[in-house]
Amino acid sequence: MELQLALALPVHNSVKGFDLNDGDIESKEPVASQLWSYGGSLESKKCLKNKRSSEEAFGKMGGGVPQTFPLMVWSGQPNEEDDRNGQNRKTSSIVNKNEVEENHAVGWPPIKSWMKKQLHQQQQQQQQQQQGGRVKNDGVAERSGGRNSLYVKVKMEGVAIARKIDLRLFHSYQALTNTLISMFDKEQKFDKNGVSYTLTYQDKEGDWLLAGDVPWQTFIESVQRLGIVRNGG
Amino acid sequence: MMMGSSFPEEVLEHVFSFIERDKDRNAISTVCQSWYEIERWSRRRVFVGNCYAVSPLILIKRFPDVRCLELKGKPHFADFNLVPEGWGAYVSPWIAAASTAYPWLEEIRLKRMVISDDSLELISKSFKNFKVLVLSSCEGFSTEGLAAIAANCRNLRELDLRESEVEDLNQSSGHWLSHFPDNYTSLVSLNIACLNSEVSFTALERLVGRCPNLRTLRLNRAVPLDRLAILLRRAPQLVELGTGEASDLRPDVFSNLSGAFSGCKELKSLSGFWDVAPGYLPVVYPICPRLTSLNLSYAATIQSSDLIKLVSQCHNLQKLWVLDYIEDLGLEALSASCKDLRELRVFPSEPFGVEPNVLLTEQGLVSVSEGCPKLHSVLYFCRQMSNDALRTIARNRPNMTRFRLCIIEPRTPDYLNHQSLDVGFGAIVEHCKDLRRLSLSGLLTDRVFEYIGTYGKKLEMLSVAFAGDSDLGLHHVLSGCENLRKLEIRDCPFGDKALLANAAKLETMRSLWMSSCSVSFGACKLLGQKMPRLNVEVIDERGPPGSRPESCPVEKLYIYRTISGQRFDMPGFVWTKDENSALGLS
Repeated sequence: MELQLALALPVHNSVKGFDLNDGDIESKEPVASQLWSYGGSLESKKCLKNKRSSEEAFGKMGGGVPQTFPLMVWSGQPNEEDDRNGQNRKTSSIVNKNEVEENHAVGWPPIKSWMKKQLHQQQQQQQQQQQGGRVKNDGVAERSGGRNSLYVKVKMEGVAIARKIDLRLFHSYQALTNTLISMFDKEQKFDKNGVSYTLTYQDKEGDWLLAGDVPWQTFIESVQRLGIVRNGG
Repeated sequence: MMMGSSFPEEVLEHVFSFIERDKDRNAISTVCQSWYEIERWSRRRVFVGNCYAVSPLILIKRFPDVRCLELKGKPHFADFNLVPEGWGAYVSPWIAAASTAYPWLEEIRLKRMVISDDSLELISKSFKNFKVLVLSSCEGFSTEGLAAIAANCRNLRELDLRESEVEDLNQSSGHWLSHFPDNYTSLVSLNIACLNSEVSFTALERLVGRCPNLRTLRLNRAVPLDRLAILLRRAPQLVELGTGEASDLRPDVFSNLSGAFSGCKELKSLSGFWDVAPGYLPVVYPICPRLTSLNLSYAATIQSSDLIKLVSQCHNLQKLWVLDYIEDLGLEALSASCKDLRELRVFPSEPFGVEPNVLLTEQGLVSVSEGCPKLHSVLYFCRQMSNDALRTIARNRPNMTRFRLCIIEPRTPDYLNHQSLDVGFGAIVEHCKDLRRLSLSGLLTDRVFEYIGTYGKKLEMLSVAFAGDSDLGLHHVLSGCENLRKLEIRDCPFGDKALLANAAKLETMRSLWMSSCSVSFGACKLLGQKMPRLNVEVIDERGPPGSRPESCPVEKLYIYRTISGQRFDMPGFVWTKDENSALGLS
């Protein structure tokens, strides 16, 4: 700890009173002791404030920088060449900029570009299959997880979290509703009167329709997402 | 020193050959001049944590006969696109220097560095006994460079491209593998999972077939399952396997693959699983009981129930990387079945979705912390957390050494009482006395840093985002964490005061990264001038910081200790003190 202070102090002294943190250039008080007389939590309470804006934190400094401070000229490095050791390469399809991130902070959440790319590609494929709605029945589509899996979101009214379900696993509305019932079993708040639910879906045109009106195959080809709504009051 | 002169050098050298750890070697080299000399001539393995902390010349001067070189380049936040392209970390000066100084170099391991095809070619031609090339999160090269390695490195054992960006050039795409000569048989480990395009399957099959010592094979996505079966039959001795894509469920492929997998009695580690049709998962059930490592972080098509079925059979699992499709229920199953679990990473399937798409909460992590007594390394992405949960986790797992929690929405409070998560993380640092790495998230005040500074005595790496209230927070960490080596901070209201008051601390650390904070250009200049053994790099793409008031905060700041002075390869957006500034003001 002593070493820290010893090195912090000369920062102040040798600069003859220049102190970024103190607008008064005549002051000889060392930066360290002025600010950080940490005995314990008492001082910390003094310093604990709400988040400070830059202006609040640096307002003093802006005015306090002495004109006599012999500024060292900070030069940007002159090496502007792009081609360095053959670095002038065409990059492959890297998701380098935040094409997926639009209104989020850059680099947040902290996921490696490599992983983002993998997930993005796989999700795009899933979406394409949903929109295409091709029914490729290669004989084993009865088994779970046919190649053209058709994952759609299922949102139940009143439940915060939507689930995803692969419609390729089913071949009738009955099978679908049975599974949905067990999937959302714990969410159902049946009161004694017996609240019932209706299955709806959003089609390719964006319209919400009642499930069950059209043949299953037609349904599969146009369904984009499912909704479970409560009946009546 | 008496002892030094009474032993012949050969004896000391022999004794030193048993000492491998860097720390120990560094210690013995300080005993006396002759020990220093003997040690430096016999040091074979060197790790340089920051390629700009030392120069190739200095390295070669001190250690004239290095066989294994490991270098790290860009700071960790480069993984998340925070370091602009062209910043640096070029390996070519190192390769150039090593090519003449270390003709017997056997291993090169690089992380977050830029390596060109020319360098790869130089490696392939300069080191006759070259055995291991590991390029982790690197970039700048293409399959041309790989072709040179394949063609010229007769003794190559390991080629590992983990998560690097490799450019596929049309003329050699996929065919670089065929550059391995027909009489080349020494491959032990091949990881090409990151390659985007197809590799020549015939070449791959022949390669795998003629290398009897192959134990690690991580394929890329473009290798379909039926091909995988062929490879497995050629290499049933495999210990680590990364599959390709597996989307087309066909019964003939299924049974073929089942047969192939059943022949792999040594398989302990699985990864890959791109586009896996869940119907294929049963092919790996027979090997699940032997698995110690499972990486399902790219398996975006496997949902909770299949994940549960899978992990419930992996009773010897030590490491699991998985997407949050596993949900709380799956983590509960994990905690019941996998009592030997040491490391868990749960990644978000929809990181940019606003609403949760899976039932994964803090409860999953609590379950695992309860059920898995050896769990010591965690990376967990979730959308809600509570102080209670963190306290429980801390009490359950005082043996935690790496704890990285990412609550996806910045500044999310405790969802139960809407308070900050200060006390929760405080419990983590207090109870987990061997904690070496910590990543924070959620709503946090300066208080959490007080806890960290007080209790985080073994902490070596800390990652902070959207946290804290004032410089006090940063000061707590810099003044309290005695073993801190790497500190990376983004979007926190930390400014000049704590930095300047703890300037000396920075020389005891490898590096400090601060972006979107409140450190002024003036402070950076001052620091750079006063601390000659630090490189203070201001990374600012808005143009010359000198064109703005000195009080203006810089965009990004990267400070690292160095004994080789300023680097000469800085791009236009990196600003540092002028080389001619001499001794500053003193």
